[in-house]
Amino acid sequence: MAYLWDQLRAAVPLIFSGTSEILTTTWITLRIALVSTGIALIVGLPIGLVIGLGRFRGRRVLHILANASLALPPVLAGVFVLLVLLPQGPLGSLHFAFSIYGVYAVQTLLALPYIVAMTPAAIQALPPGLLAQARTLGAGPLQLSALALREAKIGVIAAIIAALGTALSEVAAIIIVGANIQGDTQTLATAIVSQIYDYGNYPAALAIGVVLLVLILALMLVLTVLQQRTSGVRLRFRTSGATGG
Amino acid sequence: MTALWNTVREAVPLILHGNPTLFTVIWFTLQVSAIATAGAAVIGLPIGLTLGLGRFRGRRVLQVLANASLGVPPVLIGLALFLVTMPKAPLGSLHLQGTRQGVFIAQTILALPFVVAFSAAAVQGLAPGLLAQARALGAGRPQVYALALREARIGVLAAMIAALGATLAEVGAIVVIGGNIYGYDQTLATAALYEANGAHYQDAVAIGLVLIVLILVLIGAASLLQLRGGTSMRFRSAT
Repeated sequence: MAYLWDQLRAAVPLIFSGTSEILTTTWITLRIALVSTGIALIVGLPIGLVIGLGRFRGRRVLHILANASLALPPVLAGVFVLLVLLPQGPLGSLHFAFSIYGVYAVQTLLALPYIVAMTPAAIQALPPGLLAQARTLGAGPLQLSALALREAKIGVIAAIIAALGTALSEVAAIIIVGANIQGDTQTLATAIVSQIYDYGNYPAALAIGVVLLVLILALMLVLTVLQQRTSGVRLRFRTSGATGG
Repeated sequence: MTALWNTVREAVPLILHGNPTLFTVIWFTLQVSAIATAGAAVIGLPIGLTLGLGRFRGRRVLQVLANASLGVPPVLIGLALFLVTMPKAPLGSLHLQGTRQGVFIAQTILALPFVVAFSAAAVQGLAPGLLAQARALGAGRPQVYALALREARIGVLAAMIAALGATLAEVGAIVVIGGNIYGYDQTLATAALYEANGAHYQDAVAIGLVLIVLILVLIGAASLLQLRGGTSMRFRSAT
């Protein structure tokens, strides 16, 4: 036990002395998480809403496909995105391979299934009468979407938490597409792999691990508080609406 | 598009004329998934059932912890295991670094949160009267647990499927603890990383195709099992 304690004690100063490197990596990690989750939201929310609210043939098939895409191993997403982005690939002219933009692209692809699959699930879990009532009262698709999103906020925020979480923990896809370049495409998670696998620098790996853990806890805490606070308002609103109606 | 297509086309013969390493990797992947999922079930189901059914102080806190553990990056679990198995560390005498046993243990730890959190949620989703009735009729704890397990088998199987999927896709933890040693402790997922890093894209695609097929077959079989389990749910509502 004393040994582990020594390791941890050796790691803590590294967090502060290696500040500029770890800070850069933390900033890159945050940027990747925010950009990929942001794009996934812009692209995925409308799709999720259509699947959740739409009443068309094949809606269930689409939802099953979205669920199934959650099981896609990120390492495969990495290989295929890299092949597409390599100079001889279809999107080679963008020069995204081994750059931060390639990492944004693959992480967006990995975040998308969470938004697309979890949004309709959250909408379908709403009390059945709610959306029907809004439709009867003449709500158009936009109003209906806004209502569904507001009411299904807990599920949608859960999807955002999941999407951010994958970006923070992803290793394989980011290494493959971004080449794990320190200060450029390296995230905290891939830096841990690099410190152990390439350099055998265990205290540094531990220091980065502590930062990653703190970052994840902080993000999850903020989002969970946000999620639960809105839920309280929503539930009170809903029950008062039910008694009134 | 043609370049991409050519890579995929060149990958297929690589699978069919498979080199012995590929079979080693496939076999090891199957071993890892089976051992980790089974190990996580043996350890995790009793914990999950206790969390879901128990009536003790701190149950909710433990359940929140179980749910939160799903969000821990696997690479951190690999790192923690790596540090406690360093030669001078408490578990150093087990020699888990760079070995297959290390990968088995890391993957079992990774699969555990899925089994614990999802099986607890599954038994909590049961009709509230069911277990109370069984208790009132004099069922002891093992009987109540067995009943809950049988009734919540769809959710419990979903937990197993999630655990299986996680072990098949994992890379970070395996690379950290196992070192991703070619032909020894590589799984399909880490082998794909290895080949892609070496710019052997055809090999990476070949391995990736095998991994997709393996996932489809295993998850498909488990889902079928789950659906078949669902048919006897009709039996329950009939009684």
